[in-house]
Amino acid sequence: MPEARLPEQFRDLEQWIGWSLETEGERSDRRQASAMEDITAFYEAMLARMEEVLPYLEQFSLEELPDDAKRLFYLTLSLAEVAPAVEQFGQPSVVDGYDIKRFVASHR
Amino acid sequence: MSATPNGTPANGNGAAGGYKWHNKYPHLGTGPVPADVFTSQEQFELERERIFKKVWLNVGRVERIPNPGDYFVQDLAVCNTSVIVVRGKDGAVHAFHNMCSHRGNKIAWDQGGTCQNFTCKFHGWSYGLDGKLKFVPDEESFFDLKKETLGLTRVAVGVWEGFIFINVDPNPTETLQEYLGDLATGLEGYPFGEFSTTSTSWTSEVNANWKVIKDAFQEVYHIAFLHKRSIPDSFTSKDNPYAHSLDVTLYPRHGSMSLFGSADYKPSPVAKLAAQHGEIVIRSDFSADGLPAGVNPLRSEAWSLDLNVIFPAFFVDVSQGSYFTHQFMPIGVDKTLWTSTQYYTKATTPGRRFSQEYGNVIFRDIIMEDGRTFEETQSMLSSGAKKEFYLHDEEILVRHSHHVIDQMLTGQPVDRAFAANGKEAASHA
Ligand code: FES
Ligand SMILES: [Fe+2]
Repeated sequence: MPEARLPEQFRDLEQWIGWSLETEGERSDRRQASAMEDITAFYEAMLARMEEVLPYLEQFSLEELPDDAKRLFYLTLSLAEVAPAVEQFGQPSVVDGYDIKRFVASHR
Repeated sequence: MSATPNGTPANGNGAAGGYKWHNKYPHLGTGPVPADVFTSQEQFELERERIFKKVWLNVGRVERIPNPGDYFVQDLAVCNTSVIVVRGKDGAVHAFHNMCSHRGNKIAWDQGGTCQNFTCKFHGWSYGLDGKLKFVPDEESFFDLKKETLGLTRVAVGVWEGFIFINVDPNPTETLQEYLGDLATGLEGYPFGEFSTTSTSWTSEVNANWKVIKDAFQEVYHIAFLHKRSIPDSFTSKDNPYAHSLDVTLYPRHGSMSLFGSADYKPSPVAKLAAQHGEIVIRSDFSADGLPAGVNPLRSEAWSLDLNVIFPAFFVDVSQGSYFTHQFMPIGVDKTLWTSTQYYTKATTPGRRFSQEYGNVIFRDIIMEDGRTFEETQSMLSSGAKKEFYLHDEEILVRHSHHVIDQMLTGQPVDRAFAANGKEAASHA
């Protein structure tokens, strides 16, 4: 069995670990490259656990997240990333949107 | 709570239509605007000389250069220059043309950083953070070099509420404060500094005239259509299906529009989670407690955010817990560097950060809907098939903007009298 990467009570989310990505660019790339059924499955799995995930993460300050909690936290950011695909657009990209590859992000 | 609750869309003539903003600012007329202003090279050259080289232009915020020696480079194709903006040893912000006094080489080739001196890569002339020429290699072989007259060429710079503006006119006719005028006064005290400790910014080089982009962001007539998927019920409601705005205030050059927010807004599951942990940009339960008089000026309970359009091409759009800006830097008549930035208070907790990320993604996806129209519109403008365009009463900021540009290009004085009248009209409303 591979080493667990998420806090114990959230092991059921291990299968989504590929969505645990640090930057908006990585998360957005994954959203754009994924099939809608994968996005929806991830969305539903995360949403079902968010009422426990957020209070768990809130025990820590952002600066002091242990590694396993940090990986879980990045999953929540990916939930934010895919939310519009599921809730608004019904497809990975913005319907009739500007080409996201031409958007250069600089976050400070 | 709000002093004067106003739960109904201010444009009372609502579905029946009406000319609320025209009646407030009749001097703008009702006629169409010409179509060639978006494609004419001649027009663009006039805009360059008579607008962009004459007025105050936003180039960023002070948080970008917190310490002495911190600098950034702002290329300003429309002003035919590039400018270095630097925090001096004196703690003040200085700006210089990014050009060496020896034979004109561009001094900083990067986008920014931290330094003690600006040293030209060509022959090594070196300048202090105050722009003074400090060192010339092999100086003895020059002839009568007066180093004290050979510093970097200064560009006028001003800071308002943490926003850095420059003016490439060697002798600006107005101070920054005079230029920003009453629009600025109304916003002073908004917690710009507190809300600017972190930011998310997107930039794109768009093949469209700067006014095509600007105009798309200064009206909300398009919300019910272009944004029907992303924000189907935030700015529109059964009683206000076309997102009629709450209030409009025009200044001699700038303009503000206060936007309706629907109490019937139904947050999605993730929006609800985000709202539990902090700010998201779009919601309907804002008050304006503690905000300056220029924010949600009607103190409406049905308020979402205000557009503040600082002429010619900078928007400061403020809401309850965060604000965002749009900046349009023309490169050519049909090429523009578009930057939109969302500002937040830096999160210290994971929940807050999650909430911000949701706001961030929603904002990005909404402006991608706007963004699609820019090149689609420009590509057709160049056909010349249409000679003029017809504006809705709610497109009054567009009308005003074109009016001001036309006045400046034709050398007429900018209208000022109406601003006082408008204020008068508002206070009697
Ligand atoms: S051009 Fe800069 S040192 Fe010669
Ligand atoms: Fe829009």
